[in-house]
Amino acid sequence: MKTLSAIVMFSLLASSGAAQDANKLLKEVDDNLMPESYEANRKLINEEPNGSKKEFTFYTVKKGKDRIAMLYLFPASEKGRSTLRLGDNMWLYVPSANKPIRITSLQSVVGGVFNNADLMQLEYSVEYDATFAEGTEKEYMLNLKAKNKTVAYDKLKMWITKDKKILRKVEAYSASGMLIKTLEFKEDKNFGGGLTRPSVIETYSPLYKGYRSLMMYQTIKKRQFPDEVFTLTYMNRLNELR
Amino acid sequence: MKCIARMMLPLLMAITLLHGVNPLHAQEDSDATPSPEQERKLEWNGNFDVKYTLFHMHESAALYKLQFLVDKPSSSFLTQYRFEPYLNADYRARDLAFYLKTHATYFSDADASVDILEAYGSFNPSFNTTLQAGKRVYNWGKGYAFNPAGFINPVKDPENPELAQAGLLSSNFEYVKSFSSEALQNMSFLFVVMPSSGGASNRFGELKQTELALKTSFLLWDTDIDVMGFYSIQKPKRVGMDIARNLIENLEVHGELTYSANVEKFTIANNVLASSSSSGTSYLFGIRYLHESNTTLIAEYYHNEFGLSESEFEEYNRFLSTHAQSNDPLLIQQTAKLNQSYFRGTNLMKDYLYLKLSQPEPLDLLYFTTSIFTIYNLADKSFLLSATMNYKPVTDIEFILWPTIITGGGNTEYGGKNFRQKVEVWIRVFF
Repeated sequence: MKTLSAIVMFSLLASSGAAQDANKLLKEVDDNLMPESYEANRKLINEEPNGSKKEFTFYTVKKGKDRIAMLYLFPASEKGRSTLRLGDNMWLYVPSANKPIRITSLQSVVGGVFNNADLMQLEYSVEYDATFAEGTEKEYMLNLKAKNKTVAYDKLKMWITKDKKILRKVEAYSASGMLIKTLEFKEDKNFGGGLTRPSVIETYSPLYKGYRSLMMYQTIKKRQFPDEVFTLTYMNRLNELR
Repeated sequence: MKCIARMMLPLLMAITLLHGVNPLHAQEDSDATPSPEQERKLEWNGNFDVKYTLFHMHESAALYKLQFLVDKPSSSFLTQYRFEPYLNADYRARDLAFYLKTHATYFSDADASVDILEAYGSFNPSFNTTLQAGKRVYNWGKGYAFNPAGFINPVKDPENPELAQAGLLSSNFEYVKSFSSEALQNMSFLFVVMPSSGGASNRFGELKQTELALKTSFLLWDTDIDVMGFYSIQKPKRVGMDIARNLIENLEVHGELTYSANVEKFTIANNVLASSSSSGTSYLFGIRYLHESNTTLIAEYYHNEFGLSESEFEEYNRFLSTHAQSNDPLLIQQTAKLNQSYFRGTNLMKDYLYLKLSQPEPLDLLYFTTSIFTIYNLADKSFLLSATMNYKPVTDIEFILWPTIITGGGNTEYGGKNFRQKVEVWIRVFF
């Protein structure tokens, strides 16, 4: 009986230790992707099934684990719009309406494959718990489970390089196990400040046949902001930070 | 056109001079501290709308007869064709900023106008505080189509709630503070002073007619909460609150509740204008729901305590009809003036339901967004039904097709409108 208890205890400790290691790896992946507080300029290209393209550019600021705000710079029809995320809460500010309205993470303000949660992504380790899956010779593979129901995707599969712990691919699944979209992380670039990471995220989805979206990071810079930048009051003033 | 150009030119010159000769959008050097010159930024943007509307008029409606007292059209099908440029400028230099939003409407050289929607200066003594003065739009309340808590909002048109509108001559002070608490995440405080500026013929206002408004906002337990008040000796004093929260990730609920004291209400009694004063509560509650098919539903119920009851509206409508059918031009003219002065607004009655369904790219039609909405008068069962089709084939160009029909008996609010159907076509170019 004592032997059996010892085996059970050992198994529990081992699995708990493995989970801890997986979550530690996930945190490393986050750290290699972005500083905790930063400003970034990004370009989004939505490719439509007929081959035409639509471009958007955004200025993004983030602070801590769960505060992120984004200002639309291009095209002119979207310029001045901004989105704010505080944890699970999201708002959209439209200049003509002149007030923020609550939106959901599943909605897409810009159309195409990316939804608001993709554009206003928090750190993976904030939203998911990780466990190891069987990887390859060069890559770790993690299974991620959402910590709560407000997270846009219930499960993720993640491929990470073993040498530099850089994210290469993410598959996003619904609670029923359906593949919603795939994100591929490409073209490593040195952004300065010791940050080298993929500069292009290519996204496609079986739900949006023929569509493809490319998120291209132009600049990423560590920067600290006052907390008040991440308030509804500040949504129409984000341009002052640029 | 000359008229618009003449009015816009001084504004544009003032901003250009204010900006000086600095290059637009100066490139930021991440390694160098920007000089004061580099920190000065001027940005322009706007849109140019061309709008064509075909109306099928309601010739037997009293409002039609009042409108076309002179030069009665020979056909019930009328058109309007106009263009509306919107031109905006933002100028920023360190903690100072100036914002300008203008709008012009051009029907013909003889019928054109320019509105300054907003023109105000802004100063930030600290990151938490802002002082602003000038003409500014306030948009209080969480409702999409109606805002009973919008004490100092411009009058909203529920048919087009996102239309840019003209602001209020005012000064304000705002303070915002964030907290790291799990419960209270941030709060803000906005105090607005609206000095009296006199009437059109008199530029002197009385000090005691200065109006004050106050709004305190909280993000508390993931819920947006605003508490607001309005003080005036001429207008009703008001207090209220609004609230918005996501119940689940794809369902948002919102509401507004306000109490107004001594509201003057105008009715028609015994064929003459009558007024009475009362206090009471108006409210709105609504939802915004996103279905997995990417369809968004907005539903709102609005109760306006000071709106006309069904019998009061019938009395008002009878009054208009009787006078409109008289052959006395002076009486018809006086009735039209009275109607404009005391019964303005798109929704005169008490209880309304607003429903809107919108769907981006229906049936895989690229670049299309469609929506359908109704404003339903719960008292007299009349309603407006409208659909919009937005098509954006190219960046910064939008085409909008917008048919509307209204339904209701002759003695109902929507049934008594001056048109039965209309179709609007917009071409909108952003720059």
